Amino acid sequence: MKYLDEYRDAAIVRSLAARLRRTATRRWVLMEVCGGQTHTIVKQGLDELVGDAVEMIHGPGCPVCVTPLEQIDKALMLAERPDVIFTSFGDMLRVPGSDCDLQQVRARGGTVRVVYSPLDALQLAIRTPEKHVVFFAVGFETTAPANAMAVWRARELGVRNFSVLVSHVTVPPAMTALLSAPDNRVQGFLAAGHVCTVMGWSEYEPIAAQYRVPIVVTGFETVDIMEGMLMAVQQLEEGRFEVENQYVRSVTRDGTVPARHLVAQVFELVDRKWRGIGAIPRSGLGLRPEFADFDAELRFGLGDIVVDEPAECHAGDVLRGKLKPFECPAFGTLCTPSRPLGAPMVSSEGACAAYFNYRRLERRSEQPDVVAVATEQSL
Amino acid sequence: MCLGIPGRIIERRDDRGLPMGVVDFGGVRRSCCLAYVDDQVEVGDYVIVHVGFAISKVQEEEARRTYESLREMSQLDELDWMRETADLGLSAFEKPVAQRRGTA
Repeated sequence: MKYLDEYRDAAIVRSLAARLRRTATRRWVLMEVCGGQTHTIVKQGLDELVGDAVEMIHGPGCPVCVTPLEQIDKALMLAERPDVIFTSFGDMLRVPGSDCDLQQVRARGGTVRVVYSPLDALQLAIRTPEKHVVFFAVGFETTAPANAMAVWRARELGVRNFSVLVSHVTVPPAMTALLSAPDNRVQGFLAAGHVCTVMGWSEYEPIAAQYRVPIVVTGFETVDIMEGMLMAVQQLEEGRFEVENQYVRSVTRDGTVPARHLVAQVFELVDRKWRGIGAIPRSGLGLRPEFADFDAELRFGLGDIVVDEPAECHAGDVLRGKLKPFECPAFGTLCTPSRPLGAPMVSSEGACAAYFNYRRLERRSEQPDVVAVATEQSL
Repeated sequence: MCLGIPGRIIERRDDRGLPMGVVDFGGVRRSCCLAYVDDQVEVGDYVIVHVGFAISKVQEEEARRTYESLREMSQLDELDWMRETADLGLSAFEKPVAQRRGTA
């Protein structure tokens, strides 16, 4: 809340929040899908601003958080190989695997490089023919067009020392899985604006109709999110269950057609395990058989591995919206951003990190917490 | 990694059939792939870039607002990766095309 005063759109946000409070005749439960939106909501205290009108449940839209432990362990196995240069987006480096993380593998002598774009990894492969370059292809529909192009280009240019470890996930099947759960509480969604910039929103129309939930395509700025919440509540109050587009300045119904086209040429729908949530049918993207040469799992014979999540981490309950991060016994004590037990504490898009960064001290006033006190003194 | 960053196209190039360009992100310049917006953009236009790929064209005012909002929300991690990786010399334009073709 204290940050909101500094924000130039504060007056608009307050007026939208007041309208939302007047519109709501009861408390509605909404879920924001995108981790970037979670960050904004928690940092700016938007959930607190709407009072009892809306309960926000934070969804699983953090790619770092839902990448399954098995894929992290495979990444670690590849990064340890002397013949491999392992490349990744920066925020995967500190995600804990079963025994360690990519940063620790690098400290022990593994070659791990942060790249900004998958084309950087391909370029590195072209310039380093004596090594094999593996790129960790993770993310939602926003990174899929980039990763698809890297594979497409590798084939086009005949680059043989490049492959990808794929762990792509897609948003609509996760929403369906959440809505199908017998104990589901979500009554409406804010869909992720940038995912829809790529994909459009036609995929969401059958979900809104079948499960009778409003789905509002929403941007990630403070005003966007408050307006998205208002639009969803207006629909619920009027008994409408439609896909609406709040983020008109970026999103069209069909999305970015050439990007969707290439993604469909390189990837196909596969069953995918989500970290902390479990397997969701046809919720991921895997390489099509014609791109098998670029599949790191096949090339290095990684096969299927099954590993257990650490019992003390409740990330799965947080990602399903069953538990607020501060309700986890490990939050802020066993699990902190500098020593994360689970991925949601690592990424800036993760709900646990957002609560640790912006809500920890408020919580301390209600319930003293040794780590929070120590951290505050060190600031 | 899900939030795109707005930037301004300051140069366009063709890298063996792949439309590329140099994009300026508030002073940090990176080569980006323009294949997905190829027929909509020219030098001087603003685009939203996800992990090195322009995904949509935006108006200048919207680009400025979005950039400012990302900065306020401390969500410009990708700019840090750009800076971190700049010293690896991995920009697609940093080596002449002819030289790269030799190793491909």
